[in-house]
Amino acid sequence: MEISELLMQAANLMLTGMVGVFIFLSILILAVKGLSKLSASQPIPEQPTTKTRSQRSESAGVPAQHIAAISAAIAQFRQNN
Amino acid sequence: MDGLLNLWQATGLANLTFPALSMIAVGCGLLYLAIAKGFEPLLLVPIGFGAILTNIPVAALAEPGGLLYYVYYIGIDSGVFPLLIFMGVGALTDFSALIANPRMLLLGAAAQFGIFATLFGAILLNFIPGFEFTLQDASAIAIIGGADGPTAIFLASKLSPELLGAIAVAAYSYMALVPIIQPPIMRLLTSEEERSIAMPQLRPVSKREKVLFPLMVLALTLLFLPAASPLVGMFCLGNLMRESGVVDRLSNTAQNELINITTIFLGLAVGSKLAADQFLTVETLGILLLGALAFSIGTASGVYMAKVMNRVSSNPINPLVGAAGVSAVPMAARVVNKVGLESNPHNFLLMHAMGPNVAGVLGSAVAAGILLALVG
Repeated sequence: MEISELLMQAANLMLTGMVGVFIFLSILILAVKGLSKLSASQPIPEQPTTKTRSQRSESAGVPAQHIAAISAAIAQFRQNN
Repeated sequence: MDGLLNLWQATGLANLTFPALSMIAVGCGLLYLAIAKGFEPLLLVPIGFGAILTNIPVAALAEPGGLLYYVYYIGIDSGVFPLLIFMGVGALTDFSALIANPRMLLLGAAAQFGIFATLFGAILLNFIPGFEFTLQDASAIAIIGGADGPTAIFLASKLSPELLGAIAVAAYSYMALVPIIQPPIMRLLTSEEERSIAMPQLRPVSKREKVLFPLMVLALTLLFLPAASPLVGMFCLGNLMRESGVVDRLSNTAQNELINITTIFLGLAVGSKLAADQFLTVETLGILLLGALAFSIGTASGVYMAKVMNRVSSNPINPLVGAAGVSAVPMAARVVNKVGLESNPHNFLLMHAMGPNVAGVLGSAVAAGILLALVG
């Protein structure tokens, strides 16, 4: 009898838990989408920071596209290892 | 003569019991798996060695006054070690694949069904004589399905410390077995056609998004699930240190030295819980069984969710990436990539699988928070 009571509680927990996880992560999806819209609408302030950064760390004259390609490759390599 | 007798009484030979000997054998088995087979060696070496140390007769290393007792008390009883590791994991995690395709969070959520279904299964085991799992025990066992070592240890230390040894060993063993457990389930549930689906390339993600992401996750945790804030908070701190780019020294320490030091002591402390009277029980067998079940159900529900999303969505989604939702970063994503390549040699799914993979880490931390809030 006690086990069946526990089973009911477990089933309840299963339902609330899954609903809870889905709600939380769905809100996160909306938030991430909002975030990307926000940063897509204001791309200008982001540009200078990356530029100064890359100029500081790299010698001048390396095209920004090359730096982007190299850093993307490094990120992928790191993820693979 | 008395002196000789006393000396004999102080030897291990005179005090060795069969259960302790069996646990030393278990410790040696873990060392063998780690060293010869390469199963999660970073953790299984200290855990296995800790298990041997704990079961040395007379020395009582895991009793009050012994080294391992204090390591456990300071690091795991308090919950500190798993949280420090989680900060390091945060500093190691790149969320760009997830930010580029946030719908992958649904796969990370679906795979958590493995946790909650196992919770139910653990209570079902109570029908068999010899098993007496409470709801707390069942929750701690079920989190093995989150495929996340630190989360499992954190939750077990809070809900069911006496089962911690078995739970940690099961969690890390099954994480090492992901390449063996997952592929048959993935092949069974998908058709050749589905496995060869190519997915569109992910968009590049700006630095601003990456910096704001951990802060946003933290804000949502603060608002909706404060019980998950120890795990999610430390994870977000690590990730912010990585992405902000202004504290590289701290980020590097969290990713390397700190996580390594903590791993040594975490392993030893888990090993200290592998004492014969706690581990050599029928419940341990049940935990090992339930752990495998949790992994399998999690994989299956992730794959099913991806199949549903593939039907509904305008962009094609390869159902295999759903299997990466169980977390176990980055092993599960690599498995997805490998199985995908078998069907379509030009289809590299690794980056696509990293999205659900890191979503699974968040998902299991959220599931742990929910369990803490409801049964803790």
